This record gives sequence, structure tokens and C-alpha cells, in this order.
Amino acid sequence: MSKNHRILDLLRRSRTPLENHLIDGLIDGRISRREFVRHGSLLGLSLPLLGRIGMAAGFGAAPSLARAAGAPGATIRVGSSVPAAAIDPVTIADAGGLLIMQQVAEFLCVDGPDLVLKPALAESWKPNADGTVWTFKLRKGVKFHSGGEMKAEDVVASIDRLADPANSSNALSVFTGILQKGATKKVDDYTVEFHLDAPNGNFPYMVSSDNYNAVIIPASYKGGYEQSFDGTGPFKLEKYTPKVGASFVRNDDYWGDKALPDRTEFTFFTDIQPQILALQGGQIDIINQMPVLAGVAVLNDPNVDVISLKSSAHQQLHMHCDEGPTKDARVRRAIALCLDREKLAAGLMKGRSALGNDSPFAPVYPSTDTSVPQRKQDIAQAKQLMEAAGAGKGFKMTLTTERYLEIPEYAQLIQNWVKEIGIELELNILDQSAYYGDAVFGKSNWLDSAMGITDYGHRGVPNVYLAAPLKSDGTWNAAHFKNKDYDQMAASYIAALDLEAQKATAGKIQKLLLEETPVIFGYFYDYLTATAKGVTGVQPTAMSQLFLEKASKA
Amino acid sequence: MVFLGGQVLPGNVGRAILGPFADQRAVDALNHSLGVDRPLLVQYGSWIWNFLHGDMGTSYVFRAPVAPFVIDALGNSMKLALVAFVLVVPIGIVGGVMAALNFNRPLDRIISLGGLSVTVLPEFVTGIILILIFGVWLRWLPIAAAWPKGAGVFTQLYYLILPSLPLFLVLFGYIARMARSGMIEALDSDYTRTAVLKGLPWRTVIWRHVLRNALLPTITVIATQTGYLIGGLVVIETLFRYQGIGSLIFTAARGKDFPMLEAGILTIGIVYAVATLIADFLYSVLNPRIRLGAEQ
Repeated sequence: MSKNHRILDLLRRSRTPLENHLIDGLIDGRISRREFVRHGSLLGLSLPLLGRIGMAAGFGAAPSLARAAGAPGATIRVGSSVPAAAIDPVTIADAGGLLIMQQVAEFLCVDGPDLVLKPALAESWKPNADGTVWTFKLRKGVKFHSGGEMKAEDVVASIDRLADPANSSNALSVFTGILQKGATKKVDDYTVEFHLDAPNGNFPYMVSSDNYNAVIIPASYKGGYEQSFDGTGPFKLEKYTPKVGASFVRNDDYWGDKALPDRTEFTFFTDIQPQILALQGGQIDIINQMPVLAGVAVLNDPNVDVISLKSSAHQQLHMHCDEGPTKDARVRRAIALCLDREKLAAGLMKGRSALGNDSPFAPVYPSTDTSVPQRKQDIAQAKQLMEAAGAGKGFKMTLTTERYLEIPEYAQLIQNWVKEIGIELELNILDQSAYYGDAVFGKSNWLDSAMGITDYGHRGVPNVYLAAPLKSDGTWNAAHFKNKDYDQMAASYIAALDLEAQKATAGKIQKLLLEETPVIFGYFYDYLTATAKGVTGVQPTAMSQLFLEKASKA
Repeated sequence: MVFLGGQVLPGNVGRAILGPFADQRAVDALNHSLGVDRPLLVQYGSWIWNFLHGDMGTSYVFRAPVAPFVIDALGNSMKLALVAFVLVVPIGIVGGVMAALNFNRPLDRIISLGGLSVTVLPEFVTGIILILIFGVWLRWLPIAAAWPKGAGVFTQLYYLILPSLPLFLVLFGYIARMARSGMIEALDSDYTRTAVLKGLPWRTVIWRHVLRNALLPTITVIATQTGYLIGGLVVIETLFRYQGIGSLIFTAARGKDFPMLEAGILTIGIVYAVATLIADFLYSVLNPRIRLGAEQ
């Protein structure tokens, strides 16, 4: 299809240099259509505008994501994990709780299943030239369930509350070094500015559904969220019973399209097996999150549909870089070369995962440099590296990890593979709370073990993975990896506003991490949601959120 | 004891609530607001003081009073235990007695062997099999034991049948065996022979002389199982999504929710004590020697 330069010029006229650079990338073929849409949405360009630019640049109409709407009026029944604690936007940290909170409360923007940011309570956003100030325009006429209109004060209060170190905020680890208390400023009733500590090209993700604490609730909120369950969402709370379940009804004052279901019912389960039985027995319609190993029974069940989302969730295998046999980078590379990743993806993960290449750059991220060669099993080379490092005779060490999902099985596979190069691993598999301990250096098996496997949930951008587990001063740096070059690269990746600059730095980071291998990233597993046949319009995210406003039953 | 035991577990309350990836400052702030950063003795003192004043405390994790959680869970546990009890005690005793009366005949073999086989099967295995048969394939019984709100006694019973079946299977063999060996011993005793020889009808011998003596050890066993039936059903409660006191204590221990844990364990302790008391009372009713001893 030919380019329409007249329309392109028109569309470009009111765009910033950064936005025009992105458009150039699309026209010159340096970035793909998909990357263009995702990065454009990050910079605050609206999806219709991105579509028009794509058309004018000769890419044809964007594939429409809109599906035929199902019948309204259904009651959708969901099985989910038990909220582990009182539901409070400030402290919430568990999948079961954030799922319930997200049924009633909304974010400024939503990180969809395709990792494209979509406007929600914010209509648009824009960075300044260096990415230190982001301005968000709020949607008008949004009503809280309690009656008041959502305005800039509510956004400022909601975000400030999370950035305040005195508030037990679970989002503090996301905002530290990025956004301080008081740095969120009201410009007018419908405009908010975020003044960041340092340039940040991915900031909108930090106030999107990707940062699950960042729901917008009234400025007057003083704690005790379970008394009000206030929010702006398409559903209102009907009843919440801790440890048992919750039900919601349609919010007829919703600012967007009204929800299709009349009601939704959430039933809490402490284990996955009873959820699978309940789905098969017709007592629930959806299992929000189904781990692949536990879900084997229904992966091929003709009465069950499995929604499989590519995600960046993974298990990190860290190795101490400052002491013991893995101090030598050659030994760490040798261990990484023992893994048969194809087998991991096909066998352990039943084909529901993508290969990892020993860096946080999962294939799902547009900024990942795919030209960096994939690490494959190579025992001969691993043996050579062991010899060169003076460890040809092998050694014994302990692999400490947690009893969670498929991690124990993963540890056993690694134990078998490294035997081939003379490494004898003793497995020390602990209960999760024993593994994490106090989660500070010196008081945590996770951070102190010479070698360990740790679970990391999905993130829409790799910023968090690049900082806390890998930077020299990172608070989750279990590998004790200290590398100045890496720190600089990570900082420049995080600051970069432009996709190509991000990609260039990503490539450098990927190569450096392959060389140093402080952490082995074996695979990135898909996020699975199971639905009974005939249930449509269900939209999960890999953060454990579930959007049901378009759900219906046949 | 529980209080101290909980303190030596790894991790702390704030960390357990906020998760391993939360900022340390947030964890410290939460621990402070919950009051768990105070010295141990102060915490223990204030807990005991409140408990003696009828206040079971406030859950760290749910930030709500503990009492409603514990009372609801105890009520649920008692219902399930009662249904299981009503099913297993008579059937178990009758089974044991029948086996003893048919000593070494096929019926005895079937009851003894069958009872033993299902007893050694863990309840999560029998539970899943029963769910598959009655819940998924036949769809006769609801899988989850959570009945709709405001359900009547019969609806609740209907929901409780499936979860009580694995308990029945676990306990049936045990109770039947105890009843059987007690019966065999009693049948073999001098007083039974005397009773038969003095010409009493067989039925009277069994009811008045044999059963009374044979069931004494069985009652002790049943009483000691009450603790298990009320507080030890974590697996069954998880499988059938039932809000009993066993899983309440289990999750409280995992989340380091001490007020909940302590209240739950104390409650089970009280239930256990009451069950033992009732067993002792029954024992004295059945055993005239103890009753007479008390009167003298």
C-alpha cells in the first residue's frame, strides 16, 4: 500500500519532535507496526490517531479488536485465590486481593493484554522533552460510586498516598527513585503533572494497571477500604465476605459503555485443584489464573477454553557473583549453557512459555533486541569454560528455593543438567515464607543463598526487573551482582523516551548479561485463564486482573 | 506456647502482609501501626489482658475483630463434624459389632478389610475421587460445601454430604475395628459365658452385657477423634472450600496473624476439653464401676 504524504504531513503538524521521530521510524521500516502502536500509546498518542498514521504510512487499517458484543444480563461466576489480607489499595500485594479491588476501582490507564497502554481515567498523557515531567489529562464526568466526581485532587491524593514512605505502601518499591511524595501536582481540575526524580521513558506504566496499587479513589480516603469499596469502575460491590467471596452489580452511572453482565460473583479458593473441579462441575465459569502444571487436566478439555497471554513472568535463578564457585563468570555461563531451554518450554511448561535468554528482556517486550543470539544447551562449551575457570573437576553447592508453582520441578531439572559438567547440586526447597524471610540482606534465604530460584510476576515494562534485582545497589540483588557499566546502561534504558534508543540500550544490556550471567532467565511463562465453553468477552491481564464488563454466556 | 512458637517462625507480620518485594520502609511502617514492633512481653501482656476481658483481639491481616471469624469457622466445623459423626458413629459401631458376631466369616473379612483399606487412603485422595464421581460426572451433589446464604437445615445438609463422606471413610475403619475387637473380647469373657449359661436370651446378653463393656474403648477413640474432626480438617476444608476452623488456623499461622491463630487454637482446646468431658460422662454411664466409685 502506498504512503499518503499529504495526510501524513497533516497528522505530523501538531506532533512533538519525539512523536515525529516515532512516525519516521514506522515510515522507514525501523520499527514494526505493532511496536509503533505500543510505543505511540506510551507517549500518549490516541489509538485512533495511531491508526490514522498507520493507514497514511501505507499499513492499511488496523485490525479491529472489537468483537461482536455478547448478550447482556449474565451472571458471571469466577474462581480466584483468597485475598491474603484486608483489601486496601495502599498495602495490597496479592493476586486474590487486587483482582477484587480492580472490579470496582480503575486506573489512569490500563496495560492491556498486548502491553499497549489504553486510556481509562486519563484521556491522554504527554512527556516533556527529557521525560522528567509527564502531564496527564483526566476524563471529565467520571463519578465515584459514592457520588462525587473524580477530579485532579483525587488523583494527586491517590498517587501521593502510595509514594509516602510513612504509609506502608506496597507501591513504594515502584516509586522509589522515580516519584516522591508531593511530586504529583494538580494543574487544574482535569490536569495532573508528575515531576519525576529522573527522566523516565516508561513512566505511564507506573500509574497504569501494571502498578496494581495505583487505583484512583476519593481524596478523602482514610483507610478501611472494605467499608466502602469506592471506585469509578463498571461494577459496584454488592457484598464482600473475607475468605469466602464477593459479588458485584452493574454500575449504571459508569462513564463508558455499561457492563454487559448484571452481576459477577467471585468465589475464593485456597488451592487450584478444587477450582478446576468446580469449573468442570459447572459451579464456576472462569478460573482467573491457572498455573500450567496444575492445569494440565483442562488444557485439552473440550468443554474448557484456555486464554493464554504472553507475559514476562519468570523464575530467576541467581548465582552469587562475589563469592564461592560461581564468582567466576565462566562458571556461571557454563551453568547457563547446561539448560535445555527448548525442553523446558515444551516439557515442563507444556508449550505455554517463551525461551529466556538470561536477561529480563522477554520476547513480549517491543524494546527487546531480537538480533542477540539465543543461548542454547552446549555441554562441550560448558565443560571448556569449567576447565578454563579451574573448576574442571566440578564442585558441590546448594540450590535454595521456594515451594511454589513448578519451581521444585525446575530445580530438579537443573540439578540433573549440571551433573554433566561435574556440579553436584543439593536442593534445599523451603516454604515460601521461609525462603523470603525478612527480605533484607542478612536475614533472607532468598538474598543470602549462593544459588537460588525466585518467582517474579509479570510487568508491562522491564524497568523493575532491570533495577532492583540487578543494579549494584538493588534491594533484591540476590546475585550480589555489581557492575558499573550495567548500572549506567540500565539507567539510560530507563530514561530513554524513544523506542529505538531503548532498543539500542536493550541490545547492549542483553549482551552484557549474557557475558556476566548473574541470573539465568530460562523461560517466560504464559498467563493462563480458563473459561467454560460459551463464556465470551472475558479479558484477563497477566497481572491477575480480569475485566468482565464485556463478558457474556451463551 | 503458641505465642512463643509463632515468634520464632521466620519473617514478620508486615513482611507477610506486604510480600517480599515491598519496600522495607513500608514494612516498618506497617509493623509499627500494628504494634508488633513492641517488646514481646508487652505484646503478650496486652493480648492476655484483652483476652481475659473477652476481647479476642483484632486480626493483623484482616484488620477486623477476630471473634466473628473464629465463631463462624467454629460453627461451620461443628456442623461438618456433626454430620460426619452422625454418619460414622452408628454405622461404624454396627459394622464392628456385625463383624465381631460373624467372627472370621466372610462378612467380618469384608468389613475389616474394607474398613482398613479406606482408612489408609488419605482424605484428599478419597475426596477428589468422590468429587469426580458425585460432583463432576453424576452431578448429584454440589462440589463446594458453601451453601447459599440463608439456606435451611436440609439445604445445608445436602451441601455437607459430600465433604463428610471422606471423613466417614477415614473414621469408619477405625471405629469399626475398635468396636469389633472390644466385642470379641467381651464375647470371650467370663461374664458373657455366665450370662449365657444362666439362660438369658441371646439378645439380652448382647445388649445388656456385651455391648456395654465392648463400647468403652470405642467411646474413648471417638472422643479423641473430635479434636481432629473439628480442628484437623485443613485438607478437606481446602478441597471443598469450606470455611472451617482448621483452615482458619492454618492460614493464620502462614500469615503470622497471631491474634487469629491464638484465638483459634484456644477455641479448639476448649472444644477438645468439652469433648473429653462428655466422653468421661458417657463412660461413667456405661461403666457402673466408675459410677459407683464416684458415689462412694
